[in-house]
Amino acid sequence: MLSYVGRRVLQSVPLLIGVSIIGFALMHLAPGGPLAVYTLNPTITNQDIERIRIVLGLDQPVHIQYFKWASGMATGNWGYTFFGGRPVLGVILERMPATFLLMGSALSLAILIGCTIGVLGAVRRYSVFDMMATSGAMVALSFPTFWFGLMAIYLFAIKLGWLPSGGMYELGEEDNLLDLVRHLILPCLVLALVITAVWSRYTRSAFLEVMHQDYMRTAKAKGLRAPARLLRHALPNALKPLIALLGIELPALFSGALVTETIFGWPGMGRLFVDALNMKEYPVLMGMIMFTALFVIVGNLVADILIALLDPRVRLS
Amino acid sequence: MSASNGLRLSRRSALVGGLAAPLVLAEGVRSGHAQAINKERVILGMTQEPVQFNPLLWVNAGTENIPEVCMFDALWDVDEKGNFIPNLAAKVPTRENGGISADGLVWKIELRGDVKWTDGQAFSAKDVEFTYQSIINPKIAIRSRSGFDFIKNFKVVDATHIEIELDRPYIPFAWAWQNMHIVPQHLLASEPDINKSAWNAQPVGTGPFMLKQRVAGSHMIYERNPNYHRGAAKFRQFIHKFVPDQLVLYGQAKTGEVDYMGLSGVPSDRWGEARAMADRDLITTPQPWVQFIYFNCAKPQFKDPKVRKALTMACEMQKSIDDVYFGTYKRTQSYLQPSHWAYNDSLKEYTADPVGAARMLDEAGWKIGADGVREKDGVKLKFTCSTTAGNPARQGTQALFQQNWKKIGVEMEIKNMPASVVWGEYTTKSQFDTELVAWEPTVGMDPDYTARAHSKQIPNKTGMGSNYSQYENAEVDKLLELGVTQANTEDRKKTYARVQEILAEEVPFAPQGGTYQGNLKKKQLQGIKPTGYTVNCAWNLHEWGWA
Repeated sequence: MLSYVGRRVLQSVPLLIGVSIIGFALMHLAPGGPLAVYTLNPTITNQDIERIRIVLGLDQPVHIQYFKWASGMATGNWGYTFFGGRPVLGVILERMPATFLLMGSALSLAILIGCTIGVLGAVRRYSVFDMMATSGAMVALSFPTFWFGLMAIYLFAIKLGWLPSGGMYELGEEDNLLDLVRHLILPCLVLALVITAVWSRYTRSAFLEVMHQDYMRTAKAKGLRAPARLLRHALPNALKPLIALLGIELPALFSGALVTETIFGWPGMGRLFVDALNMKEYPVLMGMIMFTALFVIVGNLVADILIALLDPRVRLS
Repeated sequence: MSASNGLRLSRRSALVGGLAAPLVLAEGVRSGHAQAINKERVILGMTQEPVQFNPLLWVNAGTENIPEVCMFDALWDVDEKGNFIPNLAAKVPTRENGGISADGLVWKIELRGDVKWTDGQAFSAKDVEFTYQSIINPKIAIRSRSGFDFIKNFKVVDATHIEIELDRPYIPFAWAWQNMHIVPQHLLASEPDINKSAWNAQPVGTGPFMLKQRVAGSHMIYERNPNYHRGAAKFRQFIHKFVPDQLVLYGQAKTGEVDYMGLSGVPSDRWGEARAMADRDLITTPQPWVQFIYFNCAKPQFKDPKVRKALTMACEMQKSIDDVYFGTYKRTQSYLQPSHWAYNDSLKEYTADPVGAARMLDEAGWKIGADGVREKDGVKLKFTCSTTAGNPARQGTQALFQQNWKKIGVEMEIKNMPASVVWGEYTTKSQFDTELVAWEPTVGMDPDYTARAHSKQIPNKTGMGSNYSQYENAEVDKLLELGVTQANTEDRKKTYARVQEILAEEVPFAPQGGTYQGNLKKKQLQGIKPTGYTVNCAWNLHEWGWA
């Protein structure tokens, strides 16, 4: 097992390098650049822009810029933001807790509710509950998140005045846990709504597939009761695709939710990414791409290990 | 689906609400409506977040002006009437008070002697000198050196006196200093690289407030500077809050979660609702930007000024403002807002006249061809119009003008592109036919328009300037050269009135309307002065207070 993990970690090094090269190249190939923000300002002359280009190191060929950035990364220097001159790692780390909190709570809530709905739907296939859950999931998946977000704000913040319409804290209440929870409710629910829909569908289909297997019929034939059949026989088998799904969704813990964070003014990674993209903050974008790539690799590795632990037929070798 | 539709309550939203309601009730939360005003603080909400607090290095005007005005001061400010008023300087230099020499070359600046940095050190001429040296230092990513590049000699006479010699007389020089706030020499002189200095995140200035806390992505909290040289602020705390979605920010202004909604303002279609609120004031503020149709005068279709004027004449400018911008823009006949001191009031409206436009094109020799499109000497009166893609209001404007032009036998094709493409070389190398664009004057809010209209400022020909319409007129050149040397405001007014008159006749760019922003504040918040001379909605923050 250890040697397997070691090998996977080693394999991820060229993968990360590849991601960084592609990310860097795509960013520089896209039209426009960080200096575009200056070009429309009439007081900024061409000479001013050229000077800023040199100060930011953007006058050098792209491969030289890449090597400078990559050698910095290799020594733990994530670079500095173009605008503000702050260390990139610090800029990313200061947003991480907010995103972990929002995504963590939304994911946990969604998985809990989604799996429950999915299992019940599979067990009572085509029942009224199943049909309601199916259509509910379709509605949740079909409407854009920003619509749900605006609706939730309109209803709970503006019309009813029960909850704050955005942000993470009441100003000056940064240490108040209850206040944080109040701010978390709306974005968490809106985000969880969509994730719940996804998980309920996956869970339902995973369980349906398992429940029609021969060993389930055998279990029933030997007199096992329904809860035992579900827990002992169906669950471990149905979990495999769900764990794989979890592995895929884990990076979202880091990358955050662009739309939800923007609508609710949640100070997380999604917002940072949107802002960095608008400003073409290459160092921040690269930092976030690398973090996300890392999480994808870790998420998949964890999923693979979990699946091997669950299923004796899978050997990690 | 438009975001505005999203705010109408429907059965679906009630369903969503129904799902969440028990949880909310379980929380037993208090009402957002019942918030009483906390008179110890003012919360300003904006859709954008500043990332650069060093006044030398900021990029985003409007947003990054806020940390600047909280923590720093310029030598002088500009008030809501467009007059310079002293700040760190004891008085604004003029010819009359002897501050500017008769030939306009030497500027003598006297500084206040009672100003302190918030770390207790005294402010002096050395700080102004250091600021100037930083601005001309090629290693520092200063956004603009405009005006400072005319300085031939900078001399510190004593702690409160400076003498600056220019290499040519340049009246808008005052704007250069207005745009650059002064930084402390004693804290920054020893910094190896100001671009990456840790000071930039926690700066020390002379301003009315000091940065106490910053929560990235959320808000910044400032505490009052009790020793501020223009008098301590009337409230203890100033909070700059960032709410990225405009509709959500508007919602917060309604619930009272923010006291004052600045950038990007109340959405145009909600101004009526905002005006009707009993306990709020909608402050409509002219912005520096005027929206134009830019003609590329070097293209064969647009060489003749009569064609450009006829095309302008055919456009329903006022209708475009009323229908597309809900009447929130103000019709202007010039590159200045009608509220600007140098605006030429005598310019007459001549648009929305398709008959006159057709007659003018006939006279100029553009006859309708077999395909219904006018032509002359083998050139068809057919062209593209470009702007930023995905801006519905601008697309609506383009569509209206397209119809207007079609009626007089002119074919326009809409060709919109992403911002970083359309405003790149497509504009700066004058590759476009026409563009729909909003631009501000070029030297602060001074009426000087050399960079946009002087024949030596065509980047395609001289490699400098921003005369992207490639317009050339000898009289305009002369007037623009004269305007920047005239010290008397009345003389300048006449000069720029004539410039505007010629531009209205020859139309290298056809003005549509001056942009306005609707800021929303609580009625009790006093002292806010809307101005068209800066995009900084908090320019006089030290005068604000609660009634």
